[in-house]
Amino acid sequence: MGLKDVVKKAAFVDILRGMSVTGTYFVVDKVTVEYPKEKLQTYPRFRGIHALITDPDTQDAKCVACMLCPTICPSQCIHVVGEETPDGRSHAKEFDLDLARCIFCGLCEEVCPVAAIVMTRFYEGSTYDKRDFLLDKKALMANQVYAHKEVFVEKPEATGAAKEEGR
Amino acid sequence: MSADPHTDTHGAAVDTHGHDSHGHDAHGNGCAPAGPKRPTTEELIARKAATRQEIEPGADLMTISIGPQHPSTHGVYRIVLDLDGEIIVDGRPEVGNLHRGIEKLCENRTYHQIVPLTDRLDYIASFAMNHGFCEAAEKLMGLEVPDRGRYIRTIAHELARLSNHILWLGIHVMDLGTQTFFCICFRDREYILDLWEMLCGARLTHSFARIGGVAKDLPDGFEYRCRKVMEFLPKRVAEYERIVKNNRIYYKRAKGVGVFTAEDCYAWRVTGPPLRSAGIARDLRKDEPYAAYGEVDFDVAVEYNADVYDRFLVRMKEIRESCKIILQCLDQMPDGDFISKDAGHVLPRKSEVMRQSGAMIQDFNQVFRGPQAPKGEVYRAIEVPKGEMGVYIRSEGGGKPARVRFTTPSFYHGQALPALAKGEMIADMVAIFASIDVVLGDCDR
Ligand code: SF4
Ligand code: SF4
Repeated sequence: MGLKDVVKKAAFVDILRGMSVTGTYFVVDKVTVEYPKEKLQTYPRFRGIHALITDPDTQDAKCVACMLCPTICPSQCIHVVGEETPDGRSHAKEFDLDLARCIFCGLCEEVCPVAAIVMTRFYEGSTYDKRDFLLDKKALMANQVYAHKEVFVEKPEATGAAKEEGR
Repeated sequence: MSADPHTDTHGAAVDTHGHDSHGHDAHGNGCAPAGPKRPTTEELIARKAATRQEIEPGADLMTISIGPQHPSTHGVYRIVLDLDGEIIVDGRPEVGNLHRGIEKLCENRTYHQIVPLTDRLDYIASFAMNHGFCEAAEKLMGLEVPDRGRYIRTIAHELARLSNHILWLGIHVMDLGTQTFFCICFRDREYILDLWEMLCGARLTHSFARIGGVAKDLPDGFEYRCRKVMEFLPKRVAEYERIVKNNRIYYKRAKGVGVFTAEDCYAWRVTGPPLRSAGIARDLRKDEPYAAYGEVDFDVAVEYNADVYDRFLVRMKEIRESCKIILQCLDQMPDGDFISKDAGHVLPRKSEVMRQSGAMIQDFNQVFRGPQAPKGEVYRAIEVPKGEMGVYIRSEGGGKPARVRFTTPSFYHGQALPALAKGEMIADMVAIFASIDVVLGDCDR
């Protein structure tokens, strides 16, 4: 052990070098978000709790009970019963979604051919009663206030033939 | 003072285990004088013998059980250790506490439905697992991924590697006694998770790869944000090194501990950073390029001392290389499709489903029948952050695989732990265990 090392050890040079970084953070801006008081803005693709979108013409959910989302769901947590309305429309009589089984993979949103089921920006779903995890059609339709804005406007610019190619 | 950067700052610390690295240049190529001295295999074995204590035959052994609920096992891993005093004589790992039967679940799900399940293997770098499965399924079906899809996959895979390594660093160093540093790592990982949230909507279980490409194109503004993060991350790595690499306490706890030579790695099928820290430049990204790795320029991170400290150095180098890869991919990003147009195997794009009846039929077909794979079996291995991950699929035709098997790195690393820790002090067990980076979701499947 050379003299240099003795000096280094006695003066805690290594520790001080590391602590200088820690010390810097005393004075720079904080990055922490104080969660319940402040909340982070989610990005437009955020996969939060689901919602069913209302069709403005019929005031019913857009869902046509095509059974795609209950089929693709990897954890089989969607339950749909379809029926025909008197005016000849196919709609979902029952639409239940068990959040306790859902793995938030987003496949249901991806396959829905009418963009009826969407994932919202709502993520604070904790509850004291586990029955609250079973969302029925009414609860899912109530959730649409949290839906991301872009689901209502289905990308008008994507219609052009040139855009069809790419994204 | 030698030119060796390790001995440079830690002249005293090198001697702690009685073996300073006076190795000669075993490989004889040009970069030897500037880089660290490379020990030969014999020297590594001698070092291993020097750090590991003699075990007297017939000594009175004490058996202790670490885990399944132990903070340093990072999950539900249990190891039963035989101790002679403080020296580890033998150990028996016990896995399976987190077994969820994912391989069995795959047998009655279509290929599209399996992708979210693979997230739950290694949930720290879940895109890497999605990617491995999709590569295997595409090999089985003979699908080509479009260029843009391959580049997006490369970016996503490297983001997964970054978040894995940064999380690993925080936890590993916290195991060795720091607290603040853990928060610093988590703060930086948060930038990567934000990019993930922007890209696919989830922060941990991404399900972003699809058979034939990726789920979504890059969103607006992603490139700008990603460039910003990739530009400051190397500076953050320099900061980590200021705190950890030059820290005498970390150095003494990591240097020369848990030496595992290349031969040991081969014998126990240890891959990834532990193998590369033993001087073997084995990296499937380079050796068998997939996605866009053949078209970008990067170096394989290699170190030569095969100990805990060098595994740390390898991972720091890999963070830098990942940033380089992502920036190159953003520069070279081609236009075009992000998912293949093959109607027989791929979920259609949402905007097309809502407008074209052909795409709607494809949607129904894919959901109800799944992608129609031919009869046969494939094996595909890719380099995930923790090592080499292989996926084996046997198909009897149709939309569901007959058997899926994942060979994940954590399983092999976990079983090698007794061999790694034999003869070491029990206090070093924590450092050694963290250095091989085991995630139990990956191990037990
Ligand atoms: S997000 Fe996934 S698991 Fe949840 S309901 Fe949709 S398809 Fe099922
Ligand atoms: S929500 Fe969409 S996918 Fe699900 S049944 Fe209704 S229309 Fe079909």
